[in-house]
Amino acid sequence: MRRTILIACALSVTLGLCAQDSWDTVPKPGDPDPFRPGEKAGPLPRTRDGKPDLSGIWEARTLANWDIVKHRGDYGYPGGPGIVEGDKIPYQDGALKKRSEPAKNPPASPCELPGVPRLTYMPYAFEIVQTPRAIHAVYEYAHAWRIFHLDRTAHIAEPPTFDGDSVAHWEGDTLVVDVTGFNAETRLDLAGDFHSAQLHVIERYTPIDANTIWYEATLEDSKIYTRPWKLRLPLHRQAKGFELGEYDCTALESNP
Amino acid sequence: MKKALVFALSATAGLFLAVAPMMAHHSFAAEFDGEKPLDLTGTVTKVDWVNPHSWVYIDVKSPDGTVANWGLETGPPNVLYRAGWRRDTLKPGDVITVHGFAAKDGSHTLAARMVQTPDGRKLFAGSPDNGPKQ
Repeated sequence: MRRTILIACALSVTLGLCAQDSWDTVPKPGDPDPFRPGEKAGPLPRTRDGKPDLSGIWEARTLANWDIVKHRGDYGYPGGPGIVEGDKIPYQDGALKKRSEPAKNPPASPCELPGVPRLTYMPYAFEIVQTPRAIHAVYEYAHAWRIFHLDRTAHIAEPPTFDGDSVAHWEGDTLVVDVTGFNAETRLDLAGDFHSAQLHVIERYTPIDANTIWYEATLEDSKIYTRPWKLRLPLHRQAKGFELGEYDCTALESNP
Repeated sequence: MKKALVFALSATAGLFLAVAPMMAHHSFAAEFDGEKPLDLTGTVTKVDWVNPHSWVYIDVKSPDGTVANWGLETGPPNVLYRAGWRRDTLKPGDVITVHGFAAKDGSHTLAARMVQTPDGRKLFAGSPDNGPKQ
């Protein structure tokens, strides 16, 4: 019975039917995977040098792309639970005012890259390709790709970009990715949550078992937030046979 | 509990098949009327496989004999593919029936939810942000 509730709850979170935020606790190895009923996840795969092997196609199954805090659904706007720790983004007063005035805070252009960490919880899959020198993440959405550099620890001073500069290292079985060098164009969701070019993101990818990664991102931005804050969600391995497709964002003018 | 599970499963099934398009570049509520479901039958003139929404165009004949070209807004190409659509699912000349929601401004535009192909298959045609709550 408990298992049934778990599965029903996990499936329905995407529609916001489950009152409880199911991501308050990190999943444990072997927890039932709501997307693979009856299948037991294998042990964590490892590379020849003993690191966790994150290679494969992953997808967040949340509705955080619409709003990263808990939100009600409406016509054309699917509701869902939040992914923000404490369900509150610690905006400074001025930033909160801007956030509440959409005219002063227009959404990003629809064809622009979503940025970090939003790429991770876009409703599209991404593939991780792992080498000892770097980990490549290839995102179906809008031809986005990122390289997590394992072979350097310092950021390069490239001009600001949508996805920033990512340097990575392993802490035990957790891949820690430090990202800076952003522009201020991207939004954290369609609800208008935002950051400045000062944004500094620390991502933590912790594999739980063969089919689950626990993803945490800490966001620091002294111009916008009063303190660093965290969002977190599970990433699920896509079913066997799943392939990434092309998602080319077409200018809206040609799409009446 | 079993009932609740079945509900949760059926309510979410469509969503997983058709995991969300990107930006709410326009909102469903602004352009379409969720209280105005509409069924149309017509002849396919064009299929545009573009993001963030693909478009199917059909010629629809009115009872008075006039013909109007309707634009059917559907899901992104990848979402349609994963819902069973293939590149040759619809060809110009095919006669199809579509279920969706009418545009508020009275234009010949429909937010499509389901398309019945000439061979009788019913394919999910929408996405979570181009239709009302299920």
